[in-house]
Amino acid sequence: MGRRFLDRFLRPVLMRLVQPLLVALIVGALGFALMAVLPGDQAFRLAAARYGPDMGDAAAAALVRQELGLDRPWAVQFLDWVGRLVRLDLGHSLVTGEPVLQELTMQLGYTLALAGVALPLSALLGLPLGLLAGLQPGGPVDRIMLGLSVLLRAVPAYALGLCLVTVFSIHFGWLPPAGFEGWREFVLPALTLALGLAALSARVARDSVAVVAASPFMAFARWKGLPERAVVLRHGLRNAAIPVIALLGLQLVGLVEGLVIVESLFSWPGIGHALVHAIFARDVPVVQGTALALGLIFVLVNALVDLACALIDPRRARAET
Amino acid sequence: MFRRSLGILGTAALLARPALGHAPTAARRPGERVLRVVAPFEFAGPDPARSGHVFARMGVGEMLLGADPEGRPVPMLAECWSTSPDGLLHRFVLRPGVRFHDGSPLTAEAAAASLRHAHAAASPLSRVPVAAIEATSDAVLIRLSRPFAPLPAVLANYASMILAPAAYDEAGRVRAVIGTGPFRVERFSPPLQLDVERFEGWWGPRPAIGRASYLVVSQGEARATMAESGHADLTMALQPVTVARLRRSPRLEVLTVPVPRTRILKLNAASLYFADQRVRHALSLAVDRQGIATALLRNPAMAADQLFPPTLQGWHLPAPPPRRDLGMARTLLAEAGWRPGPDGILVDAERRRFACRCTTYINWPELPPIATALQAQFREIGIDMSVVIGNSSDIPRGHRDGTLEMALMARNYALVPDPLVTLLQDFRPGGGDWGAMGWSDAALDAALHALSAPEGDPAAARQRAAGILREALPVIPIAWSELGVAISRDLAGVTVDPYETSYRLHDIAWAR
Amino acid sequence: MRTLAPGRRLGLLLIVSLLGFGLLGPWLAGTDPAHQILAHSLAPPGADYWLGADHLGRSMLARLAHATRLSLMLAAVTVASAAIPGTLLGILAAWRGGWVEGGLVLVADAVLALPGLLLVLLLAAFAPGEFLPLYLGLALAGWVEYFRVARAMASGLLARPHVEAARLLGFGPGYVLWRLLLPGLLPTLGVLAAFGLGSAVLAISTLSFIGLGIHPPTAELGSMTTELLPYAYEAPLTVLMPAALVFMAVLGCHLLAGRGRA
Repeated sequence: MGRRFLDRFLRPVLMRLVQPLLVALIVGALGFALMAVLPGDQAFRLAAARYGPDMGDAAAAALVRQELGLDRPWAVQFLDWVGRLVRLDLGHSLVTGEPVLQELTMQLGYTLALAGVALPLSALLGLPLGLLAGLQPGGPVDRIMLGLSVLLRAVPAYALGLCLVTVFSIHFGWLPPAGFEGWREFVLPALTLALGLAALSARVARDSVAVVAASPFMAFARWKGLPERAVVLRHGLRNAAIPVIALLGLQLVGLVEGLVIVESLFSWPGIGHALVHAIFARDVPVVQGTALALGLIFVLVNALVDLACALIDPRRARAET
Repeated sequence: MFRRSLGILGTAALLARPALGHAPTAARRPGERVLRVVAPFEFAGPDPARSGHVFARMGVGEMLLGADPEGRPVPMLAECWSTSPDGLLHRFVLRPGVRFHDGSPLTAEAAAASLRHAHAAASPLSRVPVAAIEATSDAVLIRLSRPFAPLPAVLANYASMILAPAAYDEAGRVRAVIGTGPFRVERFSPPLQLDVERFEGWWGPRPAIGRASYLVVSQGEARATMAESGHADLTMALQPVTVARLRRSPRLEVLTVPVPRTRILKLNAASLYFADQRVRHALSLAVDRQGIATALLRNPAMAADQLFPPTLQGWHLPAPPPRRDLGMARTLLAEAGWRPGPDGILVDAERRRFACRCTTYINWPELPPIATALQAQFREIGIDMSVVIGNSSDIPRGHRDGTLEMALMARNYALVPDPLVTLLQDFRPGGGDWGAMGWSDAALDAALHALSAPEGDPAAARQRAAGILREALPVIPIAWSELGVAISRDLAGVTVDPYETSYRLHDIAWAR
Repeated sequence: MRTLAPGRRLGLLLIVSLLGFGLLGPWLAGTDPAHQILAHSLAPPGADYWLGADHLGRSMLARLAHATRLSLMLAAVTVASAAIPGTLLGILAAWRGGWVEGGLVLVADAVLALPGLLLVLLLAAFAPGEFLPLYLGLALAGWVEYFRVARAMASGLLARPHVEAARLLGFGPGYVLWRLLLPGLLPTLGVLAAFGLGSAVLAISTLSFIGLGIHPPTAELGSMTTELLPYAYEAPLTVLMPAALVFMAVLGCHLLAGRGRA
């Protein structure tokens, strides 16, 4: 048991733990290298971001350069960064002066909150439809669902967001088009994200349910005389869940990219908004911090998805006993 | 089926709740209505040099002096002030009985310490020839190394904000915003939100508004929609195109106030193209200011024939409306040696093409479309201007290393309420980061220094300076600005400060 | 030529008509997409401007046609530069195995762990308003997909008896590659590329929507939406049209890719 447990669960997890370290180093170094060779002058950009265009002049830039030691050689600054990373110190934002870790925690909170609403919402919208469509492949529900999902996936996220704003904020005046305080502010950005994801998950759910529904053991369960509902719930769902969960991991990539767009569109103070801002302001520690956070979340969720698939797979569970 | 999906909805809401908990939310006090201000200006960190504009506008921090609608200094934390006959010693007597938000009293030493911080930071005060900042029992003394008449205006700038001694750490950095204003910080979450509540110990009359929040919404359409749908009570910096629409809303009152911010084209007078004054004049004649002001700014009165708008009395010159004259422009260019080449683009005697690069930035959303309009207008007289939309810092950097050719920018001449302070920066010999480039004029320099000394007749010196700038065109004015504000009809007593130093929340009350 | 399913036929039709629009539109409009008459700002569709004029009084028809052509061409170049090296590296990895494969898989995994958008954002900051970073970022992020699919399929094909036999008989790598591997890979890679084309059109318009677009006066579908957004009330059609063209292009690509993708 112990050995097998190690092989099945721990090893992939350990692999996934080595990966983030690699990712951290690559992302950090790449960010640093790119920032180092970017055109323009970091001190000037920082001054503009800190003091606004009107006060961001050469005198302000000189003060920034002196305060942050930006005239040190890049190699020295990079070694400094690696040294601090080892001590889990991400440094201070060059723009606000706050610790990157502290800013990241806050932004991550907003981003996770948004993702945490959008993902269940997309499952809620996509999975039941996919399930219904998959039970009768080629049926009317299936055709409508297919058409809808193809259409929805072709709409750019920004256009979708603008349409939702037009309908719900401008036409009906129900929901605010920006802000991040209460549940109302969550609806439009979360819906924009969720609709795009739902189109994909409905397709995958439909296909995997269709495969399982056509498989012999479902026919066997029916033949056993189990009622249709029990057949679907006990056997169908469980088998169909595996690709769907695997898909959830894939969706994360889409989610991360969607977040940057949606956060920019709705002025959401999350990690995507912060990343875009930091790149324009050339706030190297924040760029590295956000890139690191995104890479780590990505790796973590993939590991969790692997684990969930291993746990849920009835065949693997049978082999275990 | 329907009931079950409702059940799923409930589960999703439960699942979502712990995630929502990550987002910091303000402790809500029931019954206290929050005045919601929505504006496009982000802020960074607690340092007044960086975020003071928001603290001052939201009534958190105050300066020694304020400014009246004409830009003249008025008392704020200083009750009265005087200048020694030689213009070197300025004395500001503090208002008695003022307390900071942490309960500590405003002392002359605290005020002097704040000003010393401001002088060391990237602030307008840091460019004043200050020799020493001292405190007496009831007054702050500022000693100058040479006379600088607009000093009171500099002290009205947000970066000269007075904070409590506890606001600074040992290293002299600002750690918290502890001001003296009618509102204190309830929650400070840069770069997008600031929540304030009434400070009961303020020296002025008790404000009617108990709580207010400042929310940054950078997109103009989103701001307009928030105003229209009642999600914002005070919406700042409306885009011109949304003003007409919002005026039709029964829920809003819309005000437009001229502000002393001018969209100008900065020219590198040290470059091959713009050293000749005739070329600069030709460019100015080629600009369709009326067209730009009408189509893009929705107000033909914004067409700028000179740097200073009519509201800057004393600096504005009486003038006929700007006109476009392509024939004259072509003649001037020909006189300067630029003649059309085979592809219609001008070439000089050495067959060099008139192809230049104009840098602009997106902090002001109207700048890229104006640059695109200028691009087409200059093309008509044979100038090939490419547009680079970058970061605002590209302009001072390009100025310093000499690579900048042209820049389209919006310059605020009243960030310090006396335009003189900005002009001294922008048009000093050789030019300034946000002003002339590679250009000097001894007469202008003399006029500006006469104003700062001060000596002679200030009114005449201002007109002389404005006249030189209009004749020599080191920068080409394109359009003036106005500030559009949408005010909810739930509010009473809202007035708009053309210098944007304060939203005057302490004067506002709920109408219903 | 195989007969196409109705959905794929529709997709092909969409793409071909968009290409036609992109190529013929400028000729139909008869004006330069940068030519502006400020007095005609937001002119409604009519005899002078078939699809109306934008905020600067430029012909929407000319601009939309140029933008469509630009989007499709940039997307095609991006997909080609992701697909060709990705496929070749995938085959190389499957062929050589060992440290070559291990190294390539490691690089691919590292790229996968980096959100593609981050790469594009960093590169776009490098040269704002240029095509190159947009193209480079999308291609650098995109090759991994082709690499993974090509590697997986090629290892399967290489293990087949007839391929193994051909290699044992001494047929050169060129023969094996062209005659045995690529024909097996192409249908799947074609589907992937058609889908990738749609994604690239979407990504390009999205990136220019958030301000990483291309210098004015170049017309691009995403930046046209951004530019015209403030005028959505007065001229809703002008905002709708560029977004609708992106939608049609992406829809066409997805339909062309067919259901093989899922």
